[in-house]
Amino acid sequence: MDIETIRIELNIKQASKRQTDGWWLEDPGLDVTAMARLMTGIKARLATITARPLEDGSNRLIYHWDLEGTVINLATVTRNNSLPSIANICPAANWIEREIHDYFAVDFTGREDLQPLLLRSDSPSGLFHWKNDGGDKR
Amino acid sequence: MSYVIPIGPYHPALEEPYKIELTCDGERVKDAKQFVQFNSRGIEWLLERRNYIRDIALTERVCGICSHLHTLVFCMAVERLADIKVPERAQYIRIIMAELERLVSHLLWLGIAAEIVGFQTVFMTCFALREKLMDVSENISGNRVHFSMNCFGGVYRDIADSESISRAIQQVKQEIERTLIPVFSTDRTIRARCEGVGVLSREQAQAWGAVGPNARASGVPQDIRRASPYATYDQLEFQIPVETSGDVLARVVVRLLETLESIRIIEQSLNRMRPGPININKYITVPQGETTARAEAPRGECFYYVASNGSDTPLRVKIRTPSFVNMPTVRLMVLGANLADVPLIQASIDPCYSCTSR
Repeated sequence: MDIETIRIELNIKQASKRQTDGWWLEDPGLDVTAMARLMTGIKARLATITARPLEDGSNRLIYHWDLEGTVINLATVTRNNSLPSIANICPAANWIEREIHDYFAVDFTGREDLQPLLLRSDSPSGLFHWKNDGGDKR
Repeated sequence: MSYVIPIGPYHPALEEPYKIELTCDGERVKDAKQFVQFNSRGIEWLLERRNYIRDIALTERVCGICSHLHTLVFCMAVERLADIKVPERAQYIRIIMAELERLVSHLLWLGIAAEIVGFQTVFMTCFALREKLMDVSENISGNRVHFSMNCFGGVYRDIADSESISRAIQQVKQEIERTLIPVFSTDRTIRARCEGVGVLSREQAQAWGAVGPNARASGVPQDIRRASPYATYDQLEFQIPVETSGDVLARVVVRLLETLESIRIIEQSLNRMRPGPININKYITVPQGETTARAEAPRGECFYYVASNGSDTPLRVKIRTPSFVNMPTVRLMVLGANLADVPLIQASIDPCYSCTSR
């Protein structure tokens, strides 16, 4: 499946962008569960998900997929710092979502548990927010 | 009646900060829970508070085994953002160091696997070979593990004596062919401990996003050096060993055969390298933007995301190590396994706890 078909299937208005590392698609309202179904259906592998804090307190989430050796980056934004989990559709997301919850307090809804993965069980989530050194450059 | 056996975080069977809680029915493992939070160092957070130059040294500390690979991927990402072309000789040197690192990593793992099986002489053979290769790395870089070779736009040190490297890797190759391959493929004890143990199916490997030798041992022919070539891999000839049984033995065989391919790659690189610059020899500025980069570490795909706002400090660095995605597959491998096989199954993914927690 080519990038244009993926863009149309996911109803993404913005044009795809070709960079040296692969393809980039951006949609703040991206339906991530539809994305997970589509990408796993075409045998794409979820490499990882990157979270990046934004100035308004939300997080930009980039789902990095590998489709036959090409990286496809699908970026969206959290809503009330929450997004539906894709771990039930794509098990590879299981630990990744837990890590993002640890560091950025993103709430992934619809999954069985969001136990801390890299923090102690009694640590509050959002380490990258509360462990701020005063020089927040974001 | 089921009972729970906690192994770790400090346990002779698993000598690193990691815990696996096994629910057993007699000797059979019914369920497993993994805990990996004992070594979390917040490296990504630190990377966003140091400049790019200092970050090279920090990414080198993500892992003690594949440290060169981490600096390589970080440099590749920054070079993409800054639109830097790396000289060809530097690309070959990067590959030679990466393949030496793969050899050292695989021999370390094969030795540990032999030790867990109870085969001390093979353990000693693997570590003696590994020592030879670490001497080679030291002769090139001045360091046995953290090579400190990569810089933005190339490498810091040239390779002056190709012949001595060639001689050393030939000796290692002969010993692998003469001793290790026959032992690992025919010894009855090794086969009895490894064959049919800790199976990860192809479907499971794909669903959980397993990478590297673990995926290839389950029939997934995925290798970033071939699928998305970087440096000069597209100019080199090498095979990607793939096995289909998905058990511990398959993971042994894949890594063993990969050592021979690494030696082929080093030999070709040494022969093809032409005199020339090894770096761009200038300070770089990183414009605003974001990119990803990845390379094939000894344990599989290593993935970086780097975002820049145009300053001397990255806005965000995300590191996805191969162990982070391979580690959850251990739960699938141990389900239904014999309790006594768990340390070997756990070790068979060549886990790096330092990489996983970062």
